[in-house]
Amino acid sequence: MNDHELEKLAQRLGARAAERLDVEATAQAVIERLRAERAAGARIGLWLPRQWLRIAAALVIVVGGGAVALRIMHTPSPTVASAPADLDGLSTDQLRQVLDGVEQSDAHVVVSVQDVSLDDLNTVELRALLESLEG
Amino acid sequence: MPPAEPVAAVPSDAALIAAWQGGDEQAAAELVRRHARALARFLGASGSGGRGDADVDDLVQETFIRAFRAIGQFRGQCRFRTWLMTIGGNVLKDAYRKARRTRVVPLAEELRDTEGDPHEHAVAGEMEARLAAGLERLPRMQRDVFLLRAQQGLEYEEIAAALGTTPGAARVHFHHAVKRLKEQLA
Repeated sequence: MNDHELEKLAQRLGARAAERLDVEATAQAVIERLRAERAAGARIGLWLPRQWLRIAAALVIVVGGGAVALRIMHTPSPTVASAPADLDGLSTDQLRQVLDGVEQSDAHVVVSVQDVSLDDLNTVELRALLESLEG
Repeated sequence: MPPAEPVAAVPSDAALIAAWQGGDEQAAAELVRRHARALARFLGASGSGGRGDADVDDLVQETFIRAFRAIGQFRGQCRFRTWLMTIGGNVLKDAYRKARRTRVVPLAEELRDTEGDPHEHAVAGEMEARLAAGLERLPRMQRDVFLLRAQQGLEYEEIAAALGTTPGAARVHFHHAVKRLKEQLA
């Protein structure tokens, strides 16, 4: 087979597929698909800004609320037992006991082992914890 | 002497592309009408993704869709039709990959064709089938260059611009393709 015959053969190749092709139907199908893609693109374009706004608002609420909740949880609760509201009825010994209790509470930082891990404690807090464990 | 009737101007591909970019759907439809058969011939000759002629319609459609999506990348480096065929080559490559996964077995040509004498079709199509099989075995660059040159009649400069190579390299690819195809058809 020479080059010319090969080229002739190549030109016949695919001719049947080309003849069978319904050009008008193909054109319409392509237009339909392009139209559908454009419509989908437009829908996404409209949908995105509204959704992003909603998502951003939800994030602000979640993060802000979480930060407030964390702050409230980490506020140190008063560790000193409040003195009885009415001290007038107490005897001298009872008043001394109350005063001793107040002094002891001031001297010791009360740390609950369940609330924090050891990594969260500083030197002073660790020392206080050790002392409380030793009794 | 009556005045000559104005000749309806045939819009160029570039004008149709610009019109499509401006939202004119009919311009896109006209581009499809203008180039669909040539593209089908190219894709049909390339083996239509290993699934036979029946899928050429789908491949043509997919090629146009991809072309219109990427129309902004067409800078007139070659003719629109040639550019389409390079996109068609990519569509074919994807189709081959899918065909390998789904293992669709195409019907023999003589069984699918319901028109004419089946025996005549079989004899006439034997060489074409061997050429098609040979083309499928060629590296993609050689196959594309061969078809663009031998089937579509393009110049090496145009082929090189479309395929991102040099005219000299395109010429070498063509000669390698011819040599290998002749060996397989001998």
